[in-house]
Parts: sequence; C-alpha cells; structure tokens
Amino acid sequence: MLQPGKAVKVTIYLSDGATHHGVPLYSSILDFLFYRGVAGATVTKGIAGFGADHHMHSEQLVEISDRLPIKIEFIESHEKVEEILGKLEELAGSGLVEMQETTVAKPAQLSKPVKPPIPAHLKIAGKAQIMRIFLSEEDRWKSKPLYEALVEALRANDIAGVTVYRGILGYGAHRRMHQDKPLVSSHHGSIMLSVIDSTEKLRAFLPIVEQMVEEGLVVFSDVDIVKYAYRAPEAGKPETASTPAEVRP
Amino acid sequence: MKEEFTARLLRVHFGEDDLWQGKPLHEAILAKCAELGIEEATVFRGIEGYGAASRIRHASHWPYSKDAPIQISIIGTEEQIGKLTPYLDAMVEEGLVAASTVEVVRYSRTPERS
Repeated sequence: MLQPGKAVKVTIYLSDGATHHGVPLYSSILDFLFYRGVAGATVTKGIAGFGADHHMHSEQLVEISDRLPIKIEFIESHEKVEEILGKLEELAGSGLVEMQETTVAKPAQLSKPVKPPIPAHLKIAGKAQIMRIFLSEEDRWKSKPLYEALVEALRANDIAGVTVYRGILGYGAHRRMHQDKPLVSSHHGSIMLSVIDSTEKLRAFLPIVEQMVEEGLVVFSDVDIVKYAYRAPEAGKPETASTPAEVRP
Repeated sequence: MKEEFTARLLRVHFGEDDLWQGKPLHEAILAKCAELGIEEATVFRGIEGYGAASRIRHASHWPYSKDAPIQISIIGTEEQIGKLTPYLDAMVEEGLVAASTVEVVRYSRTPERS
C-alpha cells in the first residue's frame, strides 16, 4: 500500500505495435506490474508521436494506425521500483523508461470503505448553542434572499441544522413594522433563522454572518441537545443511528 | 455597525383567536413592546400545537383560520422585560411565557449610509 510522502513515478513509452510472446507489449508489462504488487498503473494511448527511430506514429494514416504511441505510468516507493526495474527495462525493449521523483499527497483508497465515517457535523451532543438570526424578508444578498443565502452558507460550513421561520407580524432594528398579508403579493415579513450547533462552530461562523447581514439581530443562548438522529445514507433499510446525550433536569 | 450585549429573550405562547380589548392579542402585545422601546419582537404562527388548555390547535390551509398557535419572540434589556411582564400578566389569559438570558450581536446600517 502506497504511503503519503516521497515516491517515484515511472513512465514507459512504447509503440502500440510492439508485442511480447504474441501479446501486446503494454499488456504484458501491465500484467508484470500487477503480479509484482505495484499500487496502480495506467496505460494511455497517444494520438500521435515519434520515438527513437524517428518514425512518425499517427492515426491519420490507416495503414499504420496500429503503431500509435503507448504510455504506461505508475507510482511506487523507491524500494519497489529498484526491485522491479531490471526486469522492466528488459520488457520495455526499445521503449523509453523515465523515472521522476514525486510526492504522494494522498494515496488512493479502496473503493469499498469498511464503514463510512460519520460526518463531523453529526457528532454534536450535549452542550450546544442556538443562534437565532432576525432579519427582514426583503433583505437580499447578491440578488438572492438573505435567508436563503444564509442557509446555503450554513450548509456549506457543515453546521448541524437550521430552520427558517416567517413571522406574521413584527418590528426590528430598522423600526419598520412587518406584516404578512395573505392577499398582498410582495412579502415584507419578519424572518427568523434558528441554527443549532456547538458554541465553537457557531462562533466560527459569526464572521460570515457579519459579512452577509447588514442589518439585523443575532441572539445566542445555551441549549442541551437531547437527541440528534440521522439516517445513514448508504444503509439499505432505514436505520437510525442516534447519538443520545444525557438529559439535564 | 456591530454591538454585542447580554439581553433577555421572552417567548410568549398563546392562540391566534385570543383577543385583548377587541384586538388580536399578538398585535396588542407587539404594540406594547414598541411602546416600551423593546429592541425586537416577532410574531410566529405555528402550524400545529397544544398549550395550556390542552386543546390541539391547527392552522388550516385557509389563510384566515383563527385556530393556529402563536408565539412571540421578544428581545429586550432586563429592565424593559421587567416592565413588560406585568402587562403580559394582565393580557395573556391563557398561555405560557418562557424567558432565557441570551447574548446578542446587533448589526445596523450606519446612519450616513442609509
């Protein structure tokens, strides 16, 4: 298994027509890499190129379309490359083998993770805070309703949850009375967003609120989370994994 | 402009059909809040609920339904809320008042910009 850190990237340039024991050369090299336990390899087919013999390989000429350039790339640790290089050079024959120092930032994962990790925002329990944001329905942020933009921003920041309430009557920072009249098409109601998450996450989000809310009121109070349950998205049957926290009197 | 301070949050729960001197109770409470100079007051209509009288209230799809639960969120200083409480005692015949201490961040437009 490839580890993050220093590694070697090996590139082998071949011609499509080359064969080895009757099979295409690239497939026999790929088999060799596979059975020697190389972490991964990719074969790409070029659309045009030329090599040591200065013979132009191109797909435009039908008669030589089976001589297109082929590139095999793989990334492995120094030790592994040292171990297989001799045989590889022999297999590559007239082709070019290139090595390059590289750094693995993140090794590839197995396609089937044993258990999907629980997203960080689903781990809150116990002590938390509720943040209520009071604003007006007509407040806008970059041409969309402010409350909608805030919900999107909260979600993008992995905040546990938010609900938007529309008031039927109210007044606030700007001292205008908001009244929701059912027969008036334009809404000028009061809006309240109720956001719950840990104190640190809400405080970390406050600068974003500050940027977006020009006029309004933000109120924090302490709450105890008794239950925050979610349905695991990958489970075949609905299964509820809950993180119950002790209930405070 | 940004200001931070500690305040009291009052939540008053009652029904939409409750009246005070012939006017809807929530309008009367809001008018009293404005009179006392309270920072923020918002009335919410719930879609379902039950309260002091253990009667389930529903808001129907008909917008003029008068049976929905009402909640008013009031945010003001300790002193303002103290002044409001006796009025609420007199006005809310059947309902619930819950109070908590909150930290407030207020954003307002600077006068020269608006």
